[in-house]
Amino acid sequence: MNGLTDFQIEMRAFELDLEDLRPPAMAHPMSADHVTKYVYRLYQRAALDGNLELFQEVEAELDGAIARLGAAPDLCLLKANLDFKLHRVAETKRDLEMSPGLAETSQGRAISADIVFQEGNYEKAGQLYEALVEKERTWDNLARLAHLRARLGDVAAADQLYVEAEDELTAKEMRSFAWVELQRGLLHSAYGRFPQAHEHYDRANRGYSGYWLVKEHIANLLAAEHKLEQAATIYRNVLQRVPKPEIQQALGDIYRHMGKQREAEECFQKALAVYLQSADRGEVHYYHHLVDFYCDAHRDAEQALKWARQDIELRNNSSTQAAMARALHLAGRHDEARQMIDRALSSGVREPGLFLQAGKIHSAAGGNGMGEHYLKLAAELNPHHSAFHVHHHH
Amino acid sequence: MADHNDPNAVNSIFSDIDASAADLYDLFGFPSSDTSDGEKVVIALTFAAVPHAGTLDPDMIYRIQMTAEPRVVHPPANEQSLDSFLKYVEAVKDKYTGALHASEIRMHVDESQRATVEFFNFPEGSFSVVVDTNKVLNIDTPGKNRITAYIGGRDDAFFNDLPGFFRSINYAPQFYHVPHTMTEARELPIPKTLLELEGNDLFNFDPALPEWGRGYKKNLPPGPWTWKGDKFRKDENGNFRFVYSGVDAQAGKNVNAIILEIPVKFINPAPDKNRIINVWGESWVLKAANKIETIPDHPLWLEHPFAFLDPRSKDSELQKYKLVDTDGQPFADAALSEREDNRQLGANNFFLAPHFVKRLAHLGWGFGPSISALGLKTSFDHDNSPVSVHKTYSTVLAAFPRVKKTLFQPLNMPDNSWNPKGLNIALRRPFEIFVPNVCAIDLDTTGTWPFGRRLEDQVATRFLSMFLDMEAEFKGKKYHLEMLNDQSLWDAAPIVPKTPPNPLKNDRDFSDKFPYLAEPHPEPGYKPTYK
Repeated sequence: MNGLTDFQIEMRAFELDLEDLRPPAMAHPMSADHVTKYVYRLYQRAALDGNLELFQEVEAELDGAIARLGAAPDLCLLKANLDFKLHRVAETKRDLEMSPGLAETSQGRAISADIVFQEGNYEKAGQLYEALVEKERTWDNLARLAHLRARLGDVAAADQLYVEAEDELTAKEMRSFAWVELQRGLLHSAYGRFPQAHEHYDRANRGYSGYWLVKEHIANLLAAEHKLEQAATIYRNVLQRVPKPEIQQALGDIYRHMGKQREAEECFQKALAVYLQSADRGEVHYYHHLVDFYCDAHRDAEQALKWARQDIELRNNSSTQAAMARALHLAGRHDEARQMIDRALSSGVREPGLFLQAGKIHSAAGGNGMGEHYLKLAAELNPHHSAFHVHHHH
Repeated sequence: MADHNDPNAVNSIFSDIDASAADLYDLFGFPSSDTSDGEKVVIALTFAAVPHAGTLDPDMIYRIQMTAEPRVVHPPANEQSLDSFLKYVEAVKDKYTGALHASEIRMHVDESQRATVEFFNFPEGSFSVVVDTNKVLNIDTPGKNRITAYIGGRDDAFFNDLPGFFRSINYAPQFYHVPHTMTEARELPIPKTLLELEGNDLFNFDPALPEWGRGYKKNLPPGPWTWKGDKFRKDENGNFRFVYSGVDAQAGKNVNAIILEIPVKFINPAPDKNRIINVWGESWVLKAANKIETIPDHPLWLEHPFAFLDPRSKDSELQKYKLVDTDGQPFADAALSEREDNRQLGANNFFLAPHFVKRLAHLGWGFGPSISALGLKTSFDHDNSPVSVHKTYSTVLAAFPRVKKTLFQPLNMPDNSWNPKGLNIALRRPFEIFVPNVCAIDLDTTGTWPFGRRLEDQVATRFLSMFLDMEAEFKGKKYHLEMLNDQSLWDAAPIVPKTPPNPLKNDRDFSDKFPYLAEPHPEPGYKPTYK
């Protein structure tokens, strides 16, 4: 395996595994164990690959397996994970109820807590995450709690929890380690501590080499530092491996800031086509990205409001409220924008990016002095705030 | 990918339970028969052959710790009370958690499969050497002692009907595909038993599926997973059905191993006084954060046959690793601790002492009535129950009276060959065998279990023998640890198949020369890196 990256080695292992697992999974009579292993590996491959279309194959196989084998708990758990990943909150809840007792398992309780988080009830999510950590101090439960703490502005506690999460991980879980390092890097990046963010991304890269997710984060960070050429090079490299529309949009943003309008527009058109095709298929995953797109790449208040409305119906939390506020702001509906951003702020979320947005919206609405207050707060927390708001992971 | 926190998205939903190099199998320890250069002790720690037999995992360290102490008898044989048991536990606890200075041999391999072997806290001090793997070699110590060592692949020295044991405890994962989410579906709430239970369709042998539980698994049916019967199963000839088959489930399997033959005086500064050497093993896996900090071994180690170590450095090294598995006594995990990861305590298993009593009573309600049904006497008080009972205990006080004799009875040996010098050495008793969880090698014996553990010991069957009443007699002779290996006992018993529970010998003959464990079996498709 010399010369291959960790990512390539693992992808190859998944492919080989799938070759071995496919025949027994298709055999009759059907073995729940073989089918579960096979579909799970498909899911793992899709998640690692990053290509959303691979999840369609996973979903088809998974639904087929459940139809033939019944609501086996492992299959339902997998379906809940898949639905949650694709922002289908109601479906995720239904999946957990399909198999008796599943919602009470440790994995079921973790997803239930994630749903509460997505629904914007951060206080209850915090209680549930703390209970999870108390019962099972696993790295992923610690990372869940860390993420919540970060959203609520307790950066030191969040980073400490990420450190504790890493301490639970062994050399046999380097992909997970890299993921936690990315979260730590994001935390620093959000507060303008770019050198520290680079350090964590570098550790992620050393822990698990060749991973497009790490490269994408590095490109986002370089863009925030206005190192546009370097960022564009990495984005292009990543896009060759993973043609994700949000990365295409990010590259378009870079080109636009470099004054390359034609290249930017090409990227935007490609990204938009994928977003809209997905939405046409009834998928909800890209709603959030569509709001961003119409607020930023192609300014279109009516479209931005349309997608923001649909997204908030699915997940009414500080992120979707902030997105709606942006759309209202763009539409010139400043009072409504102010009300919406105040709702997002009342959730308890304290992030420099949110304060910056609140500052702009309040300033536009005028009158109460809060605009200056939030802009000052944002600048204090992140003196290096960039025109590039990194919206893909946080 | 998403705008929410989703650790599972890029990682495993289910814990991967692939074979792990951290899985310790067995710890053997016995006095060497080669005394030409003075007394020596043989210690062998075996573990999963991952990634392959003969190729070791560079992310692991393996520790073998040892202490030397005088032979003591406590409490006296006539004291069989809970109080005396607890006093014993306290005394041992103080020793192991107090100023115990265990000596340690620590091993890890690098990417090129060279092994660094570190010696800490020995009378000669601390030092390390770098050696080849898969080779018998000598390590000359700074004090001019010579240790013989082998680190690499061998045949698995354990010979055992593991599926039979799992059938006896109704262990679902051996027989069923148990969903990852059903962590409770392990030992199902059915009486543990040595004889099949009438109507126990979840576990009874199925002649149409002889490979069931031996590789082949069924889908786990919906619960409840209980048993409603009231008697042992008998065939048309009136014979019970044994849950064991006597077939060696480990035949053809390999391990990786650290095998050492060590002069006793290297371990023990007062060999005349300290006749017991306690040994236990541990596996540790490198933490992820330290994987990326890995630097090459110190050049001194690579250039010189051995380098002196600062003993203080060992703990800083250990902080980079995570304890995964421990090994001292056979069956201490599987039979007494229910294989729970959070009970991997090794020698420091004192807090399990109350659990040990309750678990032994739980097992006794299963195995005791089985033994009685065969016409044998049991050490467990089951109120003459005609059939095995599923009973758990929440308090030691309730469990102790049932298990008192099992816990305290001296385990008779079949003859005097274990004690070649004819010394006044007390027979070992279960409570002192399992707490602490160490292999206690008595240098004045052959080291056969429980006075250590020799390769040829059928320890699984000897473990079952703890539930025999050692005061009873069979054919005019006191019950003993090898009685259940006596074919004539089974020939006369109303049972099929007529076999001792476990195989009587390993699938490959052991060598009478170092490294004693047999050569590894060829692994299809894998070319070993033997030197």
